[in-house]
Formats: sequence, C-alpha cells, structure tokens
Amino acid sequence: LVMRGNRLQIIDPSQALKEMGVEEHHLRFTSTISIEEEGPGNKVAEKIYQLVKRKLKDFSIHYSSDGSISISDSLLIQVSGDEDETKSVLVSWSHQDEDIGSFLLQLLREDPSLVQAV
Amino acid sequence: GSLIREKSYIWGSLNIQSFVDALTRQGITDIKVEDTEDGSIIDLPNDDTLIQVEGASTHIICNGEEIVRTKIRDTLLRCLQKL
Repeated sequence: LVMRGNRLQIIDPSQALKEMGVEEHHLRFTSTISIEEEGPGNKVAEKIYQLVKRKLKDFSIHYSSDGSISISDSLLIQVSGDEDETKSVLVSWSHQDEDIGSFLLQLLREDPSLVQAV
Repeated sequence: GSLIREKSYIWGSLNIQSFVDALTRQGITDIKVEDTEDGSIIDLPNDDTLIQVEGASTHIICNGEEIVRTKIRDTLLRCLQKL
C-alpha cells in the first residue's frame, strides 16, 4: 500500500521497491539430495511430480518431458541419474517461495519412501 | 495440511565482511571468500555450502543439513533490508 499524492494505492512490492529507488535483492536456494530409486530418471521425476501434485493442490505445477518440474513462480525440481539406483534430485527456489521450497526439500529428504510409494 | 504463503521482499547489496562476521558469530567458522569478476564466492566446506554473491543477488547452494541452511538464510536476512 503506497501513498501517491493524497491517494492510497495497492501496488506490487517489487514495483514499490523500484519507486523507493532501491534495488530488490534476489535470493535463491539450491539443494541437492539423493534418493534410492531404480529406473530411468524421468520415471522417478514423474513419480515426484505425482507426489508434488498430491501435496500442493492449489499450486500451478508443470512437468516437462526432460524430467524437470516447475512450481509456482520460481521453484524447480530436476532429477538426474540413469538406470542406477541413486538419483540426484535438485530443488531450487527463490526466497519468495521459501515456504514451498523448504517444505518440498524436507518432504523429499526425510521421507523418500513417499516417492517409492507413488 | 495447507501452506500459507507469506512473501517478504529484501533489498540492497550484501556487505561481504559483515555477513562473514555474522556467520562466524553463529558458529560457522570454516569460511573461505574468493573474489570473482562479478562479486564473491563464499565457501563453507564444513557445511557443504557455497554462496555466490553478485551485486543484488545471492545464491545459496547448500547440500548440508537443513538447520545449516536456515541458519545461513536467517543470518543473511539480518544483513539485508526487508519490506
């Protein structure tokens, strides 16, 4: 909410920062975890996609055939690893999506059996 | 359960020395700072973390424990201005 002349107006916070003459600081987090799961990487990614869809019902979630999943404005999950048992799962998000990013990281890190059960 | 989305906005550039001092006060003492063409890379080898700082942007690449990531996050946020 900003004051313009004698009027109050609701504007986007990024725009408010620009009007204040300051530069927004972009903060991003990336963490990579390992999941013991056999099969091709994109199959594991699809399982994670189904799990994420189930857990985050109200969010916009996109799955690409290259095995990457994007959620909300800034969140990205990427699975790498071929047929071997261990897959690397990269989770990356901006500070504005900290709540979802940390939630998903904890979900995948602390209970990988959820992925196996999908 | 549901997630409540609460967004906060941060602004300004990071003073590397102040940030390093603040990390040290939080018990993170194995810190290596390398200057790059566009900013700095802060390496925390004991905590499996790299922090890339370029102007008004910071990327925390943390493969260590979540408690470490949140400690670094909170320390960084205290070094920046918040809206």
